[in-house]
Amino acid sequence: MSRQQWIGIGVLALAALAVPQFAGSYWTGLITQILIFGLLALAVDLMLGHAGLMSVCHAAFFSVAAYTTAILQVRHGVPAIVAAPAGLFAGTLLGVIFAMAVRTRGVYFILITLALGYVVWGVEYRWSSFTGGDNGVTNVPRPVLIGLKLDTAEHFYYFVLVVLAIVLAAYRVLVASPFGLTLRGIKASESRMTSLGFATARHLFVAFVISAFLASLAGVLYVYYNRFVNPVSASFPISVEAVLMAIMGGSGTILGPFIGSGVFLGLRNWVSSFIEFHAAVIGIVFIATVLWAPEGVMGFARRVLARRRSGASTR
Amino acid sequence: MSATHALEVAGVSKVFGGLRAVDNVSLSIAAGERRIIIGPNGAGKTTLFHCITGTLTPTSGSLSLFGTEMTALPEHARTALGIGRTFQISNVFIDLTVLDNLRLAGVGTSGRKWVMHRSIDAYADLGDRALASLRQVGLADRIDMTVKHLSYGERRQLELALALIGSPRVLFLDEPCAGLSPSERRRIFELIAGLPRSITILMIEHDMDIALGLADRVTVLHHGAVIVEGSPEEIRAHPEVREVYFGQR
Repeated sequence: MSRQQWIGIGVLALAALAVPQFAGSYWTGLITQILIFGLLALAVDLMLGHAGLMSVCHAAFFSVAAYTTAILQVRHGVPAIVAAPAGLFAGTLLGVIFAMAVRTRGVYFILITLALGYVVWGVEYRWSSFTGGDNGVTNVPRPVLIGLKLDTAEHFYYFVLVVLAIVLAAYRVLVASPFGLTLRGIKASESRMTSLGFATARHLFVAFVISAFLASLAGVLYVYYNRFVNPVSASFPISVEAVLMAIMGGSGTILGPFIGSGVFLGLRNWVSSFIEFHAAVIGIVFIATVLWAPEGVMGFARRVLARRRSGASTR
Repeated sequence: MSATHALEVAGVSKVFGGLRAVDNVSLSIAAGERRIIIGPNGAGKTTLFHCITGTLTPTSGSLSLFGTEMTALPEHARTALGIGRTFQISNVFIDLTVLDNLRLAGVGTSGRKWVMHRSIDAYADLGDRALASLRQVGLADRIDMTVKHLSYGERRQLELALALIGSPRVLFLDEPCAGLSPSERRRIFELIAGLPRSITILMIEHDMDIALGLADRVTVLHHGAVIVEGSPEEIRAHPEVREVYFGQR
């Protein structure tokens, strides 16, 4: 990593640590939400930005993890130390099953993940004796960590931040590893990968399961943040929003999905306070991104920087 | 059938609907041999290659590599047995750097492709092998470039480097010189001619001078079937070949 990158990460970390000092609990809460959905977008982007497959069922892993943790804690009194890993396990296990989608490519992959996602949403919505139906599961207690109850917005924010720091460090290693390069190779030319000796479907399967694990982690954080979960968390719009966040922020990057999540949720919060059609505004922003900055905010920033650098060197 | 045969193709056919693209082809390639396959457009040369390397499943027939039966093996497993290939139309990783192209090729048949906890930069030998393979094809100064910025000819060179870095035992070259300028052709021709005899080579080539200059033996394919097989001299003199290939009697 270059010195500039280290400095960038340092500045970012300091800014992140300082957030609760400057922002009130409302804004701290919103930023926590941005981080959690950013993680969901990052999970989707492992498939989209690296392997080149667009999944629209990741809300299912997110939601199943959230429900599992919520039901275990609220109805069965299971402590968070067991309920949270159980949620992660359940979401990831669903990922193992849904990973059969990697037998398909392109639009068929999108369609099959769409269908799989709807199955989960439908079950949560209709099987009300188990899931609570439309009402979902309420009053999920925030976990207590080493004697520290994470019940204030500030404490919970720092908790999410620590989890993310660990996950992002691991994600960074993953995408720079031979395995990560393998995924980008599959995206670039699967036929060439096969002829070089790669059983590409196995790599995609593993990537999909890792991606489902990350989405599940976001789901567990979400249920603790929200203290409530209902079938909306598994719905199609959540899956699609995660995809849009990744694209808007910059697909194939680590920071991009979080920037996308910030733009998306920030806009929704801000615009919805004075325009009723806030979804239309977000739609226009997305269209503008695709037309003028197809590589998202990160790609746009990179282009501007490169132009400035080359401009400086010719001067 | 001798154990020294690098490749045995026995009665391979490939049928697409009503079309017999490959019709009952049998080949025995000795270890270290340079075999050139010629034939007019649509003769089934590339389809035959696809059937042997595993891109396509033959409709019938059987295949073995150094005595190992591989008819039922998928393409990636055949690569692991020692097959390397280039494509007729350059099939390289456009959005990746030249170095990453070669590093991918370098981990293709090793367990390293599953490593997740270490940066690929940590494997210095992969970079060294990439550089060596680029030097071989004359592309060493392009190592850090993204492939989409390479010229057509350079992509052909990279295509060859990708096939060579995995140390294949049998190399399939599908018109490696297609679309190149005469000087670029010369360079690729010399490179192929200079490969060690430990690599068995099957090559599809349209340029008769290159083909006959490089070949130990030549197989002529027409309408999916082998019409004649022999030394370059025999092929040059063969009346049927002169008719279907050179268009003269």
